[in-house]
Order: sequence, then structure tokens, then C-alpha cells
Amino acid sequence: MAETILKVKNLNVELGKEKVLEDLDFDLAEKEILVILGPNGAGKSVLLRTLLGLHPFKGKISWTPKNIHIGYVPDDFDVPPDLPLNVKEFFHFKRINLPEILPALQWVGIENPSKFVGKRLGTLSRGQLRRTVIAWVLVDRPSVILLDEPMVGIDIQGRESIYNSLVKIWQKQNQAIILVSHEIGEVVKKADKILALNKKKLFYGKPEEVITSQNLAKIYGATISL
Amino acid sequence: MEPQFLYSLITGIFIGGVAGYLGSLMITKRMALVGDALGHVALPGVALALIYGFNVSLGAVPALILGITLIWLFEMRTKLPMEALTGIVFTASVAIAFLFLPEEKVSTALIGDISQVGLWDTLVSAILCIFTFLVLRKIFSKIILANLSENLAKVEHIKVERYNFIYLACIAIVVALGIKVTGSLLMGALVIIPAAAARNFSRNLFQYSFGALLIGGISCLLGILAFKFFSLPAGPLIVLIAFLIFLISLIFKKI
Repeated sequence: MAETILKVKNLNVELGKEKVLEDLDFDLAEKEILVILGPNGAGKSVLLRTLLGLHPFKGKISWTPKNIHIGYVPDDFDVPPDLPLNVKEFFHFKRINLPEILPALQWVGIENPSKFVGKRLGTLSRGQLRRTVIAWVLVDRPSVILLDEPMVGIDIQGRESIYNSLVKIWQKQNQAIILVSHEIGEVVKKADKILALNKKKLFYGKPEEVITSQNLAKIYGATISL
Repeated sequence: MEPQFLYSLITGIFIGGVAGYLGSLMITKRMALVGDALGHVALPGVALALIYGFNVSLGAVPALILGITLIWLFEMRTKLPMEALTGIVFTASVAIAFLFLPEEKVSTALIGDISQVGLWDTLVSAILCIFTFLVLRKIFSKIILANLSENLAKVEHIKVERYNFIYLACIAIVVALGIKVTGSLLMGALVIIPAAAARNFSRNLFQYSFGALLIGGISCLLGILAFKFFSLPAGPLIVLIAFLIFLISLIFKKI
């Protein structure tokens, strides 16, 4: 049986005087994919950052092992277009060299990676940049990956392609994944568990049990036919 | 070559080089004008040094430490942009300095005087420049990553607040040294122009940061040589040569 690597109990987060998350309970086992759904402003990104230790909180968050290697794909990654930083140099920030960079870029579906590494980050399309950041995070093989809205701003084809790459990587490396999204679709099909929240937990469980029209109406405020 | 002139040249090249290198980081962090503003933050200390006859860099250091600590504390407290906070502290500093800076010392305070450096000045400047360069080199990639995503940097175990403070301390050292070369008024040019020119020349981060170092050093070298031959003030000449290099760099601008 897969071991639990994350237990969250009675989690409460306040930013300033505003309650952003209230009484959340959930867990994550190794090799499991947890998708966090919710409308904009529901506290999804705050939840990820709290799990990473970037926000103070009340309640309990316990990672096993305590020093587990976590990879994080943020939603605020922004490159000034004129910054002369190329892909290869970006990987050098992690002391990762070419023999490891090229396969990592291939995992995320970058074609002709040996040419791609010379490109400046600021000249990449949104999709290419997102893939590059995912490859950068995955290259030193974290045990769990937290992705914050990795598909935002990317067209439908690009989204599917990135999602397929993620699934392939997961099949190959078997990391646990926590993926934040504000939309349903392809992303929930491979999920082992869904956590829907709007500051408080709306529902939590296996997709086949919890993805119902009534439940989705709780998230989006309108009836959605499946 | 007279030793005095040689000292000026060596001091200028070291300070110009490290200021250019620092500038490549400052432009990336959209803090180009902070160097300029900090030159002004140092003014009360420079004014005291000129009145009591001690080294202007020594006078600038406590004023800068106080100014930068205030900016850092204000930033943590308010989360206002660092440039706005620097603006607040620098205008207050200029106001304080002009309450007691004698009129005959204004020119030296504002545009510097590299011709007065001695052997010890040169040695201390060179050592401080090498030290600051090594520190900057160590933190360079961490600061850039934090600039791309502060949260990602923190998850990668980068102590962003600590590195920001070290970075600000490096700015303080470079500004304190640079004031000797170009004065408070033109100090910003030493960090902004070489880095801006290098950005136009470069294809990657290495070319950019070391190009800025090279252009900063060359601007000071040529500026001080021009000062020797034309007997015009060195500070403005250095700045104008850097500006000329910037104009040339436009031809090579990579789109």
C-alpha cells in the first residue's frame, strides 16, 4: 500500500485579517495525483504556498519524510523580455549541465532541445516558458511536485500537450503531484483525488465519486452538465 | 607616469568595473535609478567628510548604511516598491546635506574628484572592489531567480530577504566608492550606462554581466586619461565616455 506523504489537519490561514482558508483536512499518498479545484480567489494558490511553508498557518501540515524534496511550478514566474538569460544558463542556476538539461526538455515535449537551450527565456512563448519551468523543476527529480495553474494563458492544444507531457513524466517517474486548476476537463481524468475549495472545503474524494453536476455547481455557481 | 595619476587610474578602473557588474543586476531588478538615488542618500556623509577633511567614501558609508537600513525596514513594513522608498529617503538626505554643505564644496560633492586618491585609498578601493565583485558573483543567480519568481526562489531554499540585504550592502559599498570617482550627482551613471550598453551587445547573462564590468572599467580608464590630457573634470568625462559606448552599442542591439 502506498505510504501517506502529506497529512493536512484543521488547516487555517489568515492573510492580514482576512480568513483565506478554513478547516481544511486532506492527505496525499506517494505516486498520487491530487487536483485542487476552485474558482478564482478560492485560496488554491495560498494553499500550495502554505504547504511549501511560505505562509504562516494554524493547524497541522506534516510531510513524510520531513525533508521531502518538493518541486514547485509557480504561477508568478515572469521574465522581462529583454533579459539576456538563456535556457542553458537558467538550468545552470541549479548547477545542472547539458547532459541532464536535454532529456529534461524532451520530457516536457520541447522539440530540438539542443537548439532550444540557446534561446533567451524572454523570447519564448508562454507555453514554451511554462514547459521550460516544469522541466527545470523536474530535472532533479523531486518526490512531489506542486503545480500552480500550469495551463493558465495557454491555448487548448497547448494545454492538452502540456498535460499529456505531465502524465508521461508521472508514469515514468512516479512522483506525487498536487495540481491547482480553476477549470475541470482533461486535468481531472487522471486524478486520484479531487479537493474542491472556496476558502472552505466544498468536496473531497475520488473523481468518480465527487465529480457530479451538483458538486460542480458548488464550485462554479451554475449547473454544469457532464 | 606620476604615481598620483596611476593611483587614480587603478582606483577608477576597479570601481568602474564593479559598478558596471553591479549595474547589470540593478537593471534586471528594475532598480537602475536606485544607484543614482543612493548617491544622493550619501550626501550628508560626503558633506561632513568635505567639511572635516576626511575620505568622502568613509563619510558616505554611515549615511548609506543608515539610508539602506531605513529603505529595507520600510520595504518589509509597507511592501511599497523599493524605488518609491528610496525616493523618500534620498530626498530627505539631500535636504539634510544642503542645510550644512558649504557652497565652495558643492562641486566636489556633486561631481567628485578622483585626482586626490593616494596609495592607501587605491589599495583599500581595489580590495573592496574585488571583495564586492566576489560577493555579487556568488549571489548573482540567486537574485535573478528571486526576481523571476520570489516564491520559486524560496522553495529552492534561497533566503530572499537575506540576499536582498547583502545586495543592498553591495550597492552601498559601490556607491560609497563611486562617489570618489564621479560624485553624488553622477554616481548613477557608473552603474546604469555600462550595464545598459552591455545589454545591447549581449546574447546571454555571462556576456551581459562581464560586458558591463568591462565597459565600466574602460569608461573610467578612458575618462581619467581624457582628464589628464584635457584638464577637464574626470567624473563628467567618464560618464560621457560611457554614454558614447552606449551609443555605439545601439548599432549592435540584438532584437
